[in-house]
Amino acid sequence: MRRRLTQESENTEINVSPLIDLVFILLIFFIVATSFVNEVGITPKHKDTASSSSNLEEPLAFDLPASGQLLQDGMVIGLEQIAPLVRSRSAEKKPSILVRVSPGARAGLATQVMDQAMLGGAQAVKLSPLVQ
Amino acid sequence: MRKKSRLLENNESDAINVSPLIDVVFILLIFFIVSATFVTLPGIEVTRPQAVTGKTLEKNAVIFALSGENEIKYAGSTVQLEEIPTLVEQASKDSGKPVVIQVDQWADASILAKIVAQARKKSSEVSIATRKPRA
Repeated sequence: MRRRLTQESENTEINVSPLIDLVFILLIFFIVATSFVNEVGITPKHKDTASSSSNLEEPLAFDLPASGQLLQDGMVIGLEQIAPLVRSRSAEKKPSILVRVSPGARAGLATQVMDQAMLGGAQAVKLSPLVQ
Repeated sequence: MRKKSRLLENNESDAINVSPLIDVVFILLIFFIVSATFVTLPGIEVTRPQAVTGKTLEKNAVIFALSGENEIKYAGSTVQLEEIPTLVEQASKDSGKPVVIQVDQWADASILAKIVAQARKKSSEVSIATRKPRA
């Protein structure tokens, strides 16, 4: 058997060049098509089902007017005051946070407010546009 | 001519042994096949807001972007707010992919809130992309 093969062709090895070509093409395709997205971010969760009960317990609301200030209960506060506020509220129950934004407020500030609230241990953070 | 005969003397076959090369290429190929996620990127670069509690998000997500000029971008083109639920549904193919919003820090927050509300209609997990925290 072996002898017959050697007799028929000088080279007994399979020609692998087309295989390599194909594999290289596949490799280049996957290298190009792969996008290494490595996104970091915050996920503000809020329960829609609790809307009826959340009316009874007042959520901690932060207002972001177009002026770029941050208001809590009508008073201007700083970003660093959010986390202690949320933490003091969370001693009683699970705090739910409402961030009301007016048109013209900056998304960067809104994100930072949500981030600070989550740092303070907020379970549910809701971002809602303020209708004027 | 003489050189060739010397080579032939040294080793029986004059072809280079390509088996290790094929092995390496196959390993690379398998790596890229496994790591390929095929996400459609919004096509614009935004200045992400800073955050402390940022966590690494799911790679296989539907990504929207809100530019500093308050344009909503998806897969390289500007879309309207009302199209978002349809786009999310089409992209996730009832597998419930999470939604990631790349928001520019100078964009309008009320538009961001509207995008989140629209995306939430079709996806249970809506995240906002932030800058990577400094280690």
